[in-house]
Amino acid sequence: MSKMIEIIVDNKTYSVEEGSLLIDLLIKEEIKVPYFCYHESLGADGNCRMCMVEIAGQKRPQIACDTFIKAGMEVNSKSENINKVRTNILELELINHPVDCPTCDQAGECSLQDFYMDYGLHDAKVSIAEKVKHEKHVDLGSNVMLDQERCVLCTRCTRFTDKITHTHELGIVGRGDEAKVSTMPGRKLDNPYAMNVVDLCPVGALTSKDFRFHQRVWFLKSAASVCQGCAKGCNIYIDHNKPKYQDDVIYRFRPRRNDEVNGFFICDEGRLSYKELETNRQESILFEGEVIDEMEVIERYKALLSQYRGEVTVVIDANLYSEEIEAIVTYAKSIEAKVYAPLACYDDPSFADEMLKSAKRAANYATVIEMGLETSMPTDIGLLINFNHPTPIKAKTEIFFSTHQGDRKNLIFPIAAFSENSGSLTNEDGIVQWCEKAVEKNSQAPTIIRWIEKVQE
Amino acid sequence: MREIEIVSRKFSFENSHTLSVAQDHGAYKNLEKLKELAPTEVIEIIKESGLRGKGGGGAPAGAKWALMPQESEKPSFLVVNCDESEPGTFKDRQIITKDPHLLIEGILLTCYAIKAKHAYVYIRGEYAQYQDVLQGAVDEAYAAGLLDEVDITLHRGAGAYICGEKSALLESLEGKRGHPRLKPKQPEPEWYFGNPTLVNNVETIASVPFIIEHGADAYRAYGTPKSPGSLLFAMSGHVEKPGVYEAEFGVSMMEYINHYGGGVKNGKKLKAVIPGGASTGVMTAAEAENATLDYESLRSIGLSLGTGGMIVMDEDTCMVSVLKNLLEFYHEESCGQCTPCREGTGWVDKLVGKILDRRGTSEDIDRLLEVAETMNGKTICVFAPAVSAVIVSFLSRFRDEFEAVL
Repeated sequence: MSKMIEIIVDNKTYSVEEGSLLIDLLIKEEIKVPYFCYHESLGADGNCRMCMVEIAGQKRPQIACDTFIKAGMEVNSKSENINKVRTNILELELINHPVDCPTCDQAGECSLQDFYMDYGLHDAKVSIAEKVKHEKHVDLGSNVMLDQERCVLCTRCTRFTDKITHTHELGIVGRGDEAKVSTMPGRKLDNPYAMNVVDLCPVGALTSKDFRFHQRVWFLKSAASVCQGCAKGCNIYIDHNKPKYQDDVIYRFRPRRNDEVNGFFICDEGRLSYKELETNRQESILFEGEVIDEMEVIERYKALLSQYRGEVTVVIDANLYSEEIEAIVTYAKSIEAKVYAPLACYDDPSFADEMLKSAKRAANYATVIEMGLETSMPTDIGLLINFNHPTPIKAKTEIFFSTHQGDRKNLIFPIAAFSENSGSLTNEDGIVQWCEKAVEKNSQAPTIIRWIEKVQE
Repeated sequence: MREIEIVSRKFSFENSHTLSVAQDHGAYKNLEKLKELAPTEVIEIIKESGLRGKGGGGAPAGAKWALMPQESEKPSFLVVNCDESEPGTFKDRQIITKDPHLLIEGILLTCYAIKAKHAYVYIRGEYAQYQDVLQGAVDEAYAAGLLDEVDITLHRGAGAYICGEKSALLESLEGKRGHPRLKPKQPEPEWYFGNPTLVNNVETIASVPFIIEHGADAYRAYGTPKSPGSLLFAMSGHVEKPGVYEAEFGVSMMEYINHYGGGVKNGKKLKAVIPGGASTGVMTAAEAENATLDYESLRSIGLSLGTGGMIVMDEDTCMVSVLKNLLEFYHEESCGQCTPCREGTGWVDKLVGKILDRRGTSEDIDRLLEVAETMNGKTICVFAPAVSAVIVSFLSRFRDEFEAVL
């Protein structure tokens, strides 16, 4: 690490690494600075010219994303002159912008809107008729829609495909105010991380076909959670909303920055996995395919338990929270059952890559290993108590604690999915991560831990 | 006026582009001299000569050469900028068609000094037929064994003005979109695929053989102390004999126009001159009377000498339509990377268009100057500041013409 030095920003002294980027300091210290093109994962490109600051001794305003910190530097980020420069550049950014916020899905999470409120607030000096026209509905592929008119040419998306995925699908074509983002003719945006460009896009140019027009972002609430798609444990936000008199619905997963795990991104498969979470849910308690009530199921459960005493096997899904796995193991001991957590079914080398996707497709794979559970497949089972394990297992009688509908079982208990419950997961690198409860359904199924309490009452 | 033929000596000979004619007139003789000179000594001579870059900026060439590492694990490269696309400028094409072997000799001398084994000549796309002449000369030089130690590759651009900017040129040469790069914070060479690289204009390199042959003092004998030597000045527009004529720095602009150009066409009165290519601003006839053709004289009136390609305009010229013409060009050619330039060039073009169509108001003139101010000094390269300066130069000198059509 290079040496720490002191610099002054807006009359306040900061200790900072020599030679680091000024904009990083401003972002870290939450000193307001507008910018479109800079992104910590993509580095500086210097094209939007919005992050202008004054530096003592420099004749002209400088962009913070291309200013390397030197000892004794004096920075002014708030002067009248700087605000005027930012206003003027923002005005140029907007002269060919269609200003269609009411129909734009980015509204509410748009940098252009935010900066206009901070630095703009000027009247339009160019009529809509004079603006440069571009394509407004370009299907780039991979669920990404492009509106070329809203684009600010920050090149975050093209730099993402150049520097992060190395797939190079996106580029800029045309010069001057005719410049626009595009794929090569006949080609599509096609890589497993493509939808991250939607998050990277600071404006409404790139929107997700999957999410757009389903919900205004200001209605959404976000819960910090972890993707269950594989053992990598990418951090996500679960964005959901419960309109009055309706059910709590998940509208999207978004990557949540964690430099230890996933950085800024998640894979598209993980991002879209919320759909599976929301559909085909097990909602009723079933006995031989017939709906029964809670009293009856507990009676029948207890009867089966005494009928098969000494022949009970418990199987655990490696996606459950650690707290749930521990509770199940403790409970299994109390009823003298054998415990298995078969892992073979989660191994999928075809899914893995060198970025974020792991071949171990279970969120809590590491906990199963760490707890030393038996990971082979059990055989010769009398009564099977299956806690949401995905593989069919042969048994004389089966009790299934299930998030989703599946094959007919003797007794089925509906349970809360991970988004409806909180708990911790250990990823494949041994990092323990907490997942917040996001959603409370109108007909919310109990958690596994709650069911275990109930059957023991 | 003193005749001077540092670069143009062989231009008038028949078949001067062929190796045999060029060699009959002394081409490649200076390569012999390298036996007695160390590479650093060549750089010293260039430094002493005061040779300035002839692509428009006028930066001292020797200092730039000295930035090239003499010891390096990476290969060094020379890139010759022949993307001559500044409106009003057509001097480099004279060199590559009339004396290509002078350029090749210059390349060999320069490569020796900076220890480069490979030189690229980046030629603007529209110069296809001129490239063929230069390629013919390169082929002849290869066949004659002159290029045993240095390779020369010609690379044709795709027609973007911005690729004349050296870092955009290198991006383009690397196969990428021609976007200027962020500028380094301290003096350093350019980088071609991460390797140290010297980028110089065709005429700069073509001046090197004279300096090596006759010495730094012989070069300094021409021109002014601060702008030594000569330039292939050129004239277009309302003159009797437009063309390229070499002259030493410091001569009177009007004397040059009258002597070589035969004065303003049809005996009309002079109205204005764009001194060195479209981006250098505009000057009035009165300013032209007092101007001398050197960097300092034009800097002193807020303009620049640029490439020395003068555009002469007579009394009948409408300055609003001249500015419109120029702004259309910039609107077309802005690379689109930085916001102020991408959006600003279009807006100023539209504003002047509006004024020219007699739909303008005095507010539009104020706005034009405001946008010019936003475009000045806030972008990666000097394209937008140049456009800004052009607008300011027109409005500060000919504002009455703009107001007359409101």
